[in-house]
Amino acid sequence: MVRSEHLTGFSHSCRPCFIATCLAGALTVLLPCDAIEPASEVGVALLANDNRRKAAAVDPADPIAGRVHWAFQPLLDREPEGESGWCRSPIDGYVLSRLQAAKLGPAPDADPRVLVRRIYFQLIGLPPSPGQVQRFVRDPSPNAMESLVDRLLGSPQFGERWGRHWLDVARYADSNGLDENYLFREAWRYRNWVIGALNADLPFDRFLLEQIAGDLLPFASIEQRDRQRIAAGFMVLGPKVVLGNGRKKQRMEIADEQIDTIGRAVLGLTLGCARCHDHKFDPVPTEDYYALAGIMTSTRVMRKVGAQRFMEQFVGLGPRGDELDRAYEKYWTELPRIKAEKSRAQSALEFLREGKEDDLARLLESHPDALSADAKEATRTAEERIEIQEAHLAKLAAVIANQPKIYPRAMIPSDGDSPSDECVRQAGQFDRKGETVPRGFLRVVSRGPFEGIPDGTSGRRELGRWLTDVERGAGRLTARVLANRIWHQLIGCGLVRTVDNFGRTGEPPSHPELLDYLARELIGSGWSIKTMVRRIVLSRTFAMSSEHNESAHAIDPENRLLWRAHRRRLEPEALRDAMLAAAGQLDLTSMKSSVWYLGDRATEAGDNKNRRRTDFPCRSVYLPVIRNDLPDIFQAFDYADPHATTGARPRTTAATQALFLQNAEQVMAWADATARRFCGGDRDGDEEWRVRRLFEQVLGCPPTEDESAQFLGFVRRTRDLLAKEGETKPGIRAWSIACHAMFSLSRFQFLD
Amino acid sequence: MNCNQFTHATTRRDMLRTCACGFGHVALAAMAGHRIALASDRMPHPFAAKMPQLRPRAKRIVFLFMWGGPSHLDLFDPKVRLHQRSGQPLSGQDVGRGHGKLGTLLGSSFQFSQHGRSGVWISELFPHLARHADRLCVVRSVHTEGQAHGEALLRLHTGQANLVRPSVGAWVSYGLGCESDNLPAFVTISPPRGHGGMQNYGSAFLPAIHQGTAIGSAEIPIAKAEIPHLVNARLHSSLQRTQLDLVQSLNRKHLRDSGIDPGIEGLIASHELAFRMQSTVPEILTLDNEPQAMLDLYGVGSEPTDNFARQCLLARKFVERGVRYIQVSTDYTWDHHQKVEKGHIAESAKVDRPIAGLLEDLEQRGLLEDTLVLWGGEFGRTAIADNGDGRGHHPQAFTMWMAGGGVQGGMTYGATDDFGYYPVEHPVHMHDLHATLLFSLGLDHERLTYRHAGRDFRLTDVYGNVVHEIFA
Repeated sequence: MVRSEHLTGFSHSCRPCFIATCLAGALTVLLPCDAIEPASEVGVALLANDNRRKAAAVDPADPIAGRVHWAFQPLLDREPEGESGWCRSPIDGYVLSRLQAAKLGPAPDADPRVLVRRIYFQLIGLPPSPGQVQRFVRDPSPNAMESLVDRLLGSPQFGERWGRHWLDVARYADSNGLDENYLFREAWRYRNWVIGALNADLPFDRFLLEQIAGDLLPFASIEQRDRQRIAAGFMVLGPKVVLGNGRKKQRMEIADEQIDTIGRAVLGLTLGCARCHDHKFDPVPTEDYYALAGIMTSTRVMRKVGAQRFMEQFVGLGPRGDELDRAYEKYWTELPRIKAEKSRAQSALEFLREGKEDDLARLLESHPDALSADAKEATRTAEERIEIQEAHLAKLAAVIANQPKIYPRAMIPSDGDSPSDECVRQAGQFDRKGETVPRGFLRVVSRGPFEGIPDGTSGRRELGRWLTDVERGAGRLTARVLANRIWHQLIGCGLVRTVDNFGRTGEPPSHPELLDYLARELIGSGWSIKTMVRRIVLSRTFAMSSEHNESAHAIDPENRLLWRAHRRRLEPEALRDAMLAAAGQLDLTSMKSSVWYLGDRATEAGDNKNRRRTDFPCRSVYLPVIRNDLPDIFQAFDYADPHATTGARPRTTAATQALFLQNAEQVMAWADATARRFCGGDRDGDEEWRVRRLFEQVLGCPPTEDESAQFLGFVRRTRDLLAKEGETKPGIRAWSIACHAMFSLSRFQFLD
Repeated sequence: MNCNQFTHATTRRDMLRTCACGFGHVALAAMAGHRIALASDRMPHPFAAKMPQLRPRAKRIVFLFMWGGPSHLDLFDPKVRLHQRSGQPLSGQDVGRGHGKLGTLLGSSFQFSQHGRSGVWISELFPHLARHADRLCVVRSVHTEGQAHGEALLRLHTGQANLVRPSVGAWVSYGLGCESDNLPAFVTISPPRGHGGMQNYGSAFLPAIHQGTAIGSAEIPIAKAEIPHLVNARLHSSLQRTQLDLVQSLNRKHLRDSGIDPGIEGLIASHELAFRMQSTVPEILTLDNEPQAMLDLYGVGSEPTDNFARQCLLARKFVERGVRYIQVSTDYTWDHHQKVEKGHIAESAKVDRPIAGLLEDLEQRGLLEDTLVLWGGEFGRTAIADNGDGRGHHPQAFTMWMAGGGVQGGMTYGATDDFGYYPVEHPVHMHDLHATLLFSLGLDHERLTYRHAGRDFRLTDVYGNVVHEIFA
């Protein structure tokens, strides 16, 4: 069983971490760094002690000596050696040269029908319609591929597919998870911002900067300000312990979550390890960790609400946003006071009615506001006083009833009141303070002096720039990590398979020159993701068939060298969208919130009426992502765990998946709709024709004669059986059952 | 490694062979969220039963979880001075915590007496359980962090709150594999949906097969619990079979066309399993075949015990079938900030007889000696009054008890101060409890590790001491 790593390696306090890791730490220095097995299933720690690490010649955490590791080296600039008519781009040259060195050759080109299905799913996450398949297959132009790819890159569905890839990495969710699953009512704005940014091909350096420091950037319009504010929600989205947590402790935990997310998502480094001690494997000393931590703890993302609870900060959007948001906040902060006042006013009223002057006097002694000023006047008659107090009470009730609408607002970080450097916390414990470290960045990937952090600011803006600064900052590493992510998504497996870990415990790249070529191209294109996607999709490598080859398999069973295309299972989003598309029910309109009907807590429902809904006909990217309560289909089919960065989703095959496809009512309803769609029309009598349309819609290719006969045989037998059992509409029911079967086919669930 | 490439293509027969327990086994594991690993022949199936590292005292654990936090002061930890000073203020000095007034003491309204030959103190709220006093090892000095439920639940179930970590049951599944031929190693009956929810029985970075299989959830009566998508509401079995035959025939053709592909093979196998499970699983979940005397022993069919009795009886069925870690949870009903007296009377009445029934039943079947039964909540409750007649959250000290599984019966371990505020003798931190649970199963908490994101993780992080004294 293999599962992607999607959680950080960090514990809030480490005695020299683990004996085994210490020993391994020593080995990483003594051996070529990549000789260490990155993941062993059987976890029996070896006995050794921390002194072994000290005995090593070089400290693995030394940020200068650590630069020898491949990921921190300058980008290679070597021409591909593989040259032949097969190559369409330098990418193919790099791939071919590795294949040839291993005495292997590339697989033939994929069948155009297979290829067009692959391109549609990879670029926009949707199946091509039969007409779209036909157009591509029959297009004689040599530019058929290019024009198809360009059209898809320009479609709004591209961002819905590729935005989701980033949302996996950004640990996007609509609720907090952890101890109290509070709803993130406004998180969807960030989700839609990501989708829009991918569609607009916002350069990745800018994309990242806005997410880390969008609230601090200048703007030319309110719209731009709001977009940037929404983007900065990235800093706020993490899971947090929200109840009963100390403020200082929580602040450090949040900083750790932010550092860990940025480390893995952007740099492919497990920085969390350096919270308690110098990193055991990677050149990240504790001081570098706390240099970053200072930036995070100088940033505020939470505010206190009530006695125990912290919740995420919001900011109003639109021209009057701040003002409306203040009014909204004022109502809720004052509500408890007004409720208490109302309850006292009620008591006072009752005392008045019952003539209990003594009780009233006692109440007024402690709470003079219990009675309205006019009602206090002794000159008035009792009736008058009662009337006045009743009016007072009604006024209070009206204030309570007048709940302001929630105005558009966004989760947002802000710089704290007094940004300052952080001190090292010994063993990671927030109350054991060590030396103060000036705010800054990781030294191992820095060249030259840091850009200074201006007084009175957190340093997030500088951090955002440093991450993509190719000359002086982490830009080259960032480019490698991003290029590898794009490759992983398109090809099915990263050049570095540990996509979130480029450190010494990760795997080395299978094609180092290719990875660096892609990174250079990415930087050279101005960090354009679309350009990179286009480049890879138009390579011959992408277009290879996935067919098996016995002798190649014997040499390279894992297909590391890419002698064929990886066959891939559809992700749950693509699977669901494809079923909806077959049913003719997919609504391609973009969706805003899909959690508006949920209460303050996203899962703690006494019964199901308050649970996340999945019955929207929208694309799957818009379905609620409730931590610890994902939609069933996501849960069954290896969706990303939204608690932490997930660059590579686990890929499993399970009976739960089969049960879902076989028995879920929703799937059968989609099959009904599919049957209605393909059984209607003018040529109703021609059953072969129906089967053909069905296959073309669901699988992207027509059935063989045998398949058609077999399929029709099933439909007819089922129809007869149902008729015998007294079914009133045996024809359409039989077709529905057959359509339902289509969704369980491997050819539907896999991309060849 | 991430990519999970289906290496070393194998024939279907090879794959069956490498899945050490065979498919019947994986079937149920897969049923409720477990996945079949398409293991290469180099890799043992992750669910294969494994040898423990130490001499095991128990083969499995049943954890009876009282959600909300039962009051140690009203159930297992009688306090004379608290009783005497009820209504008086408690100052920090009394318990060694600052000088200010902490609140007003609230004595217990319940009678305590000693039970069995051993004389274990149990309050009048647990009369049925009291008959098993000589089987209990009452640990009065448990402590944890987490002043709120969510944090405390996560620490109880996973050892951590601010990071997503595997739960105790998932570690047990990973450490021991599965003893059963057709069930997962970790089952959780009526788990909480709030306060961490699924995370409390999740596998985090451990392979998903170790995740707890949930039967229902806390707020649904267990009799109404359903396993989603286990039944096809439309097609009868023979029609579904012919439908599946069509699917499998076309899938096998795809496989033939593709040459070798373990992914497609796995898909074919998973559909077959899913179909079989539709008939085998419901048989396990029904109590229809239990004799009336057995139902009565637990309290099935009478109120207020019916629901928890069904849960406990189901737990016993899982025990019999070799599940390694079974959790049974109450609903979120023990959190008595008001009217602790009334509340505790009601909640105790729901669980007392079923728990006693479970102990009795396990004993009669000879299963108690290698089944460790653990009872407790996420924290205890305060000696000082909350809202006049209630009690607040108290993670600083509380009681849990164990029975069977090699622990000493009739034992009271650890002690708290005069007000049940702090442990004063043999404190047992949550990490210590976890280390002890693993130890009882023959697992060394320092050696049961999993390599993830570049380092080895364990349930107890860098903490935990086994409480050796409680074992016989």
